[in-house]
Amino acid sequence: MPKKWLSFVSGSAVLALALGIGLGSDNQHLLTIAIQTMLLAALASSWNILGGFAGQISLGHAVFFGLGAQITRELWLDGLPLAVSVAAALLVTAVFAAVVGVPMLRFRDIYFTIGTLALGVAIFLTVGNVRPRLSSLTVEALREYDFSGPYFMTLGVLVVTVAVATWLKNSKVGLGMMAVRDDEAAAGSTGINPLSHKMVAFVVSAGLAAMAGASYAYFTASYYPSFPFSVVWTFEAILVAFVGGMGTITGPLIGSVFFVVGRDALPSSIEEFQVVVFGLLFILVVLLLPGGLLEGAQRFIRRVSKQDTRSTSNEETTKSKGKELV
Amino acid sequence: MRKTALSVLAVLSMILAACGTEGADTTTTTTAPAEATTTTPVAETTTTAEEPVDAPESITIGAVVPLTGAFAGGGAQIERGYRYAVEAINDAGGVSVEEFGVSLPLELVVRDDASDPNQTASNMEELGGAGVVAYLGGFATPVVAAGTAIAERSEIPYLAVATSTQALHEQGFRYFFSPFPKSPDMAVSTYEMLNGLIPEGERPLRVGIFQESTDWGEELGPLWAENATANGYEVVLHETYAPGATDFTDIILKAQAADVQALFSLPTPPDGFAIYQQMGELGWKPPFNLVVRAADVPTWNDLGEAGEGVVLSTPWHPGLGFPGTEEVNARHLEEEGRPADPVVGSAYALVEILADAIERAGTLDHEAVRDAIAATDGLSTIIGPITFREDGTAPVPNPLMQRVGGAIELIWPAESATSELVFPAN
Amino acid sequence: MSRLILQSAVSGILVGGMYGLVALGLALAFGVLKVLNVAHGELLMLGGYAAFFAFTVWGVDPIVSIPLVFLGLCLFGVILYFTLFRHVTKLAIGPRIKNSLLLSFGLVLVLQALAVRFFTGDERTISTAYSSEAITIGWLRVPVVRLAGLVVAVVAAFLLEWVLTRTRFGLALRATSEDWTRAALTGVNVGWVYLTAFAISAGLAAVAGSLIGLGYSVSPNIGLGWTLKALIVVVLAGLGSMRGIILAGVFLGLTESLAAVWLGGEYREIAALVLFLVVLSVRPQGFFGRAHA
Repeated sequence: MPKKWLSFVSGSAVLALALGIGLGSDNQHLLTIAIQTMLLAALASSWNILGGFAGQISLGHAVFFGLGAQITRELWLDGLPLAVSVAAALLVTAVFAAVVGVPMLRFRDIYFTIGTLALGVAIFLTVGNVRPRLSSLTVEALREYDFSGPYFMTLGVLVVTVAVATWLKNSKVGLGMMAVRDDEAAAGSTGINPLSHKMVAFVVSAGLAAMAGASYAYFTASYYPSFPFSVVWTFEAILVAFVGGMGTITGPLIGSVFFVVGRDALPSSIEEFQVVVFGLLFILVVLLLPGGLLEGAQRFIRRVSKQDTRSTSNEETTKSKGKELV
Repeated sequence: MRKTALSVLAVLSMILAACGTEGADTTTTTTAPAEATTTTPVAETTTTAEEPVDAPESITIGAVVPLTGAFAGGGAQIERGYRYAVEAINDAGGVSVEEFGVSLPLELVVRDDASDPNQTASNMEELGGAGVVAYLGGFATPVVAAGTAIAERSEIPYLAVATSTQALHEQGFRYFFSPFPKSPDMAVSTYEMLNGLIPEGERPLRVGIFQESTDWGEELGPLWAENATANGYEVVLHETYAPGATDFTDIILKAQAADVQALFSLPTPPDGFAIYQQMGELGWKPPFNLVVRAADVPTWNDLGEAGEGVVLSTPWHPGLGFPGTEEVNARHLEEEGRPADPVVGSAYALVEILADAIERAGTLDHEAVRDAIAATDGLSTIIGPITFREDGTAPVPNPLMQRVGGAIELIWPAESATSELVFPAN
Repeated sequence: MSRLILQSAVSGILVGGMYGLVALGLALAFGVLKVLNVAHGELLMLGGYAAFFAFTVWGVDPIVSIPLVFLGLCLFGVILYFTLFRHVTKLAIGPRIKNSLLLSFGLVLVLQALAVRFFTGDERTISTAYSSEAITIGWLRVPVVRLAGLVVAVVAAFLLEWVLTRTRFGLALRATSEDWTRAALTGVNVGWVYLTAFAISAGLAAVAGSLIGLGYSVSPNIGLGWTLKALIVVVLAGLGSMRGIILAGVFLGLTESLAAVWLGGEYREIAALVLFLVVLSVRPQGFFGRAHA
């Protein structure tokens, strides 16, 4: 099918570009922006598994990002090999998600959303209390700092996240998740266990977020331990997922590029208005492209390649269920 | 309508993408060459070219400052300080760079990091890539801390104020310089001031500490406690609280119950105002109150009676009278309608230090400039004479102001005081 | 010790009244329009600044300026509805919540940055002659300014309740929040209902803001903190219940204060959030909400 082929080609092109930058560029700014973009894209994609596929809008996603970051950072700076630290972070976070998911997932809709928000803020405050000191790489580590390690780790995490999301989307489990999203009661009556599907989404999403957190811990020279737990990360991930196109695979990627690169590239001569312009752009995207930038891009491509209008309108009715490919 | 809006959006996005990472950028404040903002596309690392290099148009300094977000208030002061200094130096002829045999103007490039350390990092990387000679820092430890690491990694000198956390200086960083009051000095000078201004027998010996649960709180709180007994004071209360609370009734009542006579706190705004507002409501205030924070003058003025007599620790005060103060104060009065804000002076001094270091180094090479900064010895600045220690700190005045009858008076150091300490405050 | 507990409890109740007032507007917007407006706190912030400038420039007491601030921000709410939220209300409920969340977040960025630009980043507060006054009952102090917050909250809640149950407009509001399609079929002009509900919600936020300017302080970035409290209170009270909002707010405030006394100041907010989660687990529909189908 031409659509899948297109997404494969564009995906490979993006991957090639990412690899090229990582291998060929010395420009620290470009590398930093690229890492931040990939990180946010990975975080948004992991959120998307719970929010876009399974339909559970969590506002506490940063908890898993933060846990992944904190455990990785502490173990790694204490001397453990990075791989071991990351593995430990992943395991602990996944277990934590499973434990927390049991009570949390009983909540529905807005209650789940606000409940996860409350949990997220509580944990953020707690970490701020118990770990107030800055976590900074040593002078030696900074001297020897090589961007390629964090760069490829972040790229790797992104690739893994996208792979997992893609696999999920085309799997029976994923289908079950989407059925739960569309109508939980109906899904239940067809023999799908909503809770177990939500739980799978919750834990997978948390695990992937932890990996993103691990990349953050590996990349960032100096930060406060509570920072990765901040609700701002959750908001940015959600924004990116929405703006790009919820429930899709490439949506979060497009959204992240828009967000990180856009924010960085805004001419600073407008100072405070930089933020205003950015906010306005966001609002515009929401109003004009409720399906996100991906939908906008697809429509544009369709218009350009002059597809016949009947298939276009078919696309649009199924779009609201997020069933588009890519 | 939708179509046009969509195309507008598309065009906007493409423009943004095209502007790309080599920013079309710059808010320059050079008076002379206005459009000559073509920063020589220097290779990121130090240029050690030996052949006679053409002189660049200007000396580019990169400042990443929080102009929006939680630290916007302080960030505005910092930006003002930098801008005033750059313009003053350029008006006086710029900075002479021996290597090129000419005096060059300073070009200040300011970026807003929106109080987000991630944006601090990316903005600094961008400026570093564009060839800045040095970095100037933002406001408050979270963003400055992020900045120090980037500077160390890029090996570009980084000067910052508005952070009192000593821990930042204990990492062995070579590129970070901060001539600003730090926790150890502050703790000592608190008792020095008390003993210096209040005669024995009248001193408020029962000390209470409101420590916020941040890294700076963890530093300064215990330091206050440690220095107490040596100076003849007794800590009768030492409470911790998380910043951002709406209600401080519990710690205020505990302080009252413990009969605290001297209360020390280091609250993140707006907690300081909240604490004193609520003390007013609860009808209790100790005879001596010290609040450590860059004193946000407009806010304390708003507070009225509840803020009466509060002693504010500040990094700088125009009353100190060091060279350059008059002009800065006059300009600030004209443009902002009040005397120069505390952090403006500190920020101003950074530019003075940098300009002097570049002149002594004779070159714009990062390493040479860093060495010159480190070797600064008794340089006269708007915050007094500056000599850096090994760790990048420098002994600086730690003036104390007091709100008296609606005015803010300088009460310490005694030689520059505009008014006597009003004690007891209630 | 008992003095500490009792005084803290009183403070907690008063703060809680403030939480309730902030939550009222949010509950109205969410209940009727089913939009999640995270810029609610920014509207609060604007109201605070409005009261502040009315006080410092024209000398108008913040309590007296409440009706003006209310109307002013109602008008602003109308503008926001027409330009932005109206488009979101055309969507089905799922996308509506998600899109309004996103939309209002963009609004947060815009309003905060504009506030910094025009008001500067400094915190401002309103200090009147009675700012430190308190009603004393023995050694117990009930600060007048805090009490005002609770009183206004209760009055607003009663007024809102009265409008909702005793007026035709209120009936239309309730019908719309139950099922807007059916309401439309019975002749309710849903568009007008949405508009007025949103405008009132903005006005209520502004009133809360002016009291916060009086009792605490305002600065461009106070919004999200108060929005968070409001969200907690709305869910705690139970979606669809106005009456319970003030009580839920008081509950939250009380929890925070007592947690501070017993667990220490650092755990104030954390304990309250945890308790919120516990309550939600035990009673998912909140204190006064209807049980989930």
